[in-house]
Amino acid sequence: MKRDDDFVKEFIKHLFPRVVLRGNLRLTYTFCLGGLAFTAFLILMTSGALMLFYYQPATHGAFESILYIENSVPGGWYIRNLHRLASNVFLILLFLHTLRVLLTGAYRKPRELNWLIGFGLLCLALFEAYTGYLLPMDQLALWATQTGMNLLGTLPFGELLRSFLVPDDVGQPMSLIRFYVMHIALIPLSMLVLCMLHFYQIRKQKGVLPYL
Amino acid sequence: MSDYIKSSPYFFRIIKISFVALTLVLLLFAWFIPAPLQGPADISHVPNPSKSAWFLMWTQELVSYSSLMVYLILALGLVFILLPWLPVSPPAEEARWFGKDQKIVNLMTLFSFIGIVVLTVIAMYFRGENWSFVFGF
Repeated sequence: MKRDDDFVKEFIKHLFPRVVLRGNLRLTYTFCLGGLAFTAFLILMTSGALMLFYYQPATHGAFESILYIENSVPGGWYIRNLHRLASNVFLILLFLHTLRVLLTGAYRKPRELNWLIGFGLLCLALFEAYTGYLLPMDQLALWATQTGMNLLGTLPFGELLRSFLVPDDVGQPMSLIRFYVMHIALIPLSMLVLCMLHFYQIRKQKGVLPYL
Repeated sequence: MSDYIKSSPYFFRIIKISFVALTLVLLLFAWFIPAPLQGPADISHVPNPSKSAWFLMWTQELVSYSSLMVYLILALGLVFILLPWLPVSPPAEEARWFGKDQKIVNLMTLFSFIGIVVLTVIAMYFRGENWSFVFGF
């Protein structure tokens, strides 16, 4: 067990740089926004994983399973509150982190690859939030997703993308299962991989200013 | 190397404190802020106005002016993606807020981000039936 702990500790340590510039650790430079966003992401994965034990991705059953989580599962209402709150905070933190990166010039060369990775992460986070919006299958979920799909339809190739995401209708069996698979597996796994790359790039660019 | 300090413990300490602080804040507020849940989805009951998720409302507000606005959003996204390769800021030499050597980027960023916030607030609180402007507080 100790060896496992050491392995995890060493792995995490190696994701981060061995040394950092003292000036770049001042709070008023980064406000820890990226780290805070990653914390929210971890809380989202944990609370989301707990809800998977009870959620049913079926047109007739999803809403009832949410009611069951809310009313019958011990602490279920709290986990759902936490998941929703963390998702909102996650997006706000990413928004502010992007703002910080732009206004401090941290996107500039030679950090352009990490800027691209971060931009990809932001897009994936928005898509993750959007796919999660439908899952409760209440009125808010249905119509917010429907409106989002109408917005997508205005984009070039939007109709093509829409027909992939929603082969039947919003909230119907095929679209719900697609949103579910994307929300619980494809997008979070992609985000996790990109997060690791994001951290690794910071390590690799040791000594490059601006640093974090 | 005099300006460098070891990540462990200095950097990791900040990471740990921010991790614990945010976790505690979320755990506490989740107790008091309920996740919204309306009635079961019903395709025959269309809400008016029908609003998108809060993080997409700014795009809905923009597109309500003209569907062509979607190209403005795409163009803005493309410009931001390509920023490191555009001749608007040289490679950075110092970690600094609002660097004078990237004035255009600073202005564009502030204008875009404030715009997103303002459009979101309008869409969220000042749009009523048929997307008409209302004082909705």
